Amino acid sequence: MNQGDPLDLLMQRTRNGDDAAYREFLEQAATRLRSALARKIGNDGELEDLVQEALIAVHQKRHTLDPGRPVAPWLHAIARYKLIDHWRKRGRSPVLHEDADVAVAEDEFASLDVEALLKELPEAQAEAIRLTQIEGLTGAEASERVGIGLSAMKLRVHRGMLRLKKVVAEKDG
Amino acid sequence: MSSTDDLIAGLAAEGVTPASHALRRFVMPLVAVSVISAGFWLAMLGKPFTAVEVYGPVPMMVKWGFSLPLVFGSAWALHALGRPGQDAHRRMLCLAIPFALAAVVLAIDLAIGGGRFPGATWDRCLIAMGTFGPICFAGAIIATRWLAPTELRKAGAVAGIFGGSVAMSAYAPFCPELGMLFMTTFYILPILAMAAIGWLLGPKLLRW
Repeated sequence: MNQGDPLDLLMQRTRNGDDAAYREFLEQAATRLRSALARKIGNDGELEDLVQEALIAVHQKRHTLDPGRPVAPWLHAIARYKLIDHWRKRGRSPVLHEDADVAVAEDEFASLDVEALLKELPEAQAEAIRLTQIEGLTGAEASERVGIGLSAMKLRVHRGMLRLKKVVAEKDG
Repeated sequence: MSSTDDLIAGLAAEGVTPASHALRRFVMPLVAVSVISAGFWLAMLGKPFTAVEVYGPVPMMVKWGFSLPLVFGSAWALHALGRPGQDAHRRMLCLAIPFALAAVVLAIDLAIGGGRFPGATWDRCLIAMGTFGPICFAGAIIATRWLAPTELRKAGAVAGIFGGSVAMSAYAPFCPELGMLFMTTFYILPILAMAAIGWLLGPKLLRW
């Protein structure tokens, strides 16, 4: 588990019976869901509906998150599912996100200690992945925070994910 | 306060403890349909394994050697498919192993002459697969709906494999037929048909 991710810590506290932590967990989850979904559908009126739908799903299906597994990949998978369902209901067939390779990678890394793996990457790439994939910032938000251009940020994420795949393959092999 | 804040307050008030019997809720429907299928044939046909007394244990071992790994493998794969963000691809790939081995054994069996085909009880076998395959598929769908599958076609196909392989496992002890051509035609093809039905119906049946 990524011990540095506040969502993981909140879920752990929640499981220990801390009622206040669950509310905080849902609030932070809502922020991440909003950020992730806004990248796909923009910041229009449908966004909040979709965020709420995803939050309800998170709550109803919380028994599918095993203790010890990181929250972020689970949360993003639910967001992706609800987004695709949303598009299906609307009869749209969008080209799925440009960073589809990232989505696949999230699944591959779901059961791993991502933070330990990130230590094996150059710090710039690890930071880019941390910001966009764990904290859920948009590419623009992440690039602004780091102080580089959007294209450079996308490149760092892309190269980082490729390197991460290699690291995982080496560990498996 | 926004409506999302209201929602969060409402959800948080419902409590924090997820159901502790999550695994049991998933396994129960799978066990139930398996018991119903086996119980039905036991009640209808009486003593199982009579063919073993005549032909020895190998034909039965081949049938269960194919179907039981599929039963447990498909349940295992469904459990992963129902957990968002979990990689289920390796578990799904494992399901191909019994089919690949069956293809090899079929080739060898055909090369050395094979068994009688279609056999005297082929229609009973087809009824068993056609009746209990869908019933056990329904059990797998109920079990998977309790989870949160995000790849509905794949989950539907695996549920179909579960349904077909449980139907086969339940009836096989009462089946006197021999030969891989029989097994392929009356067991393996119906299992694949159930997988195809699951693939088609998955998005409708498993949506949440």
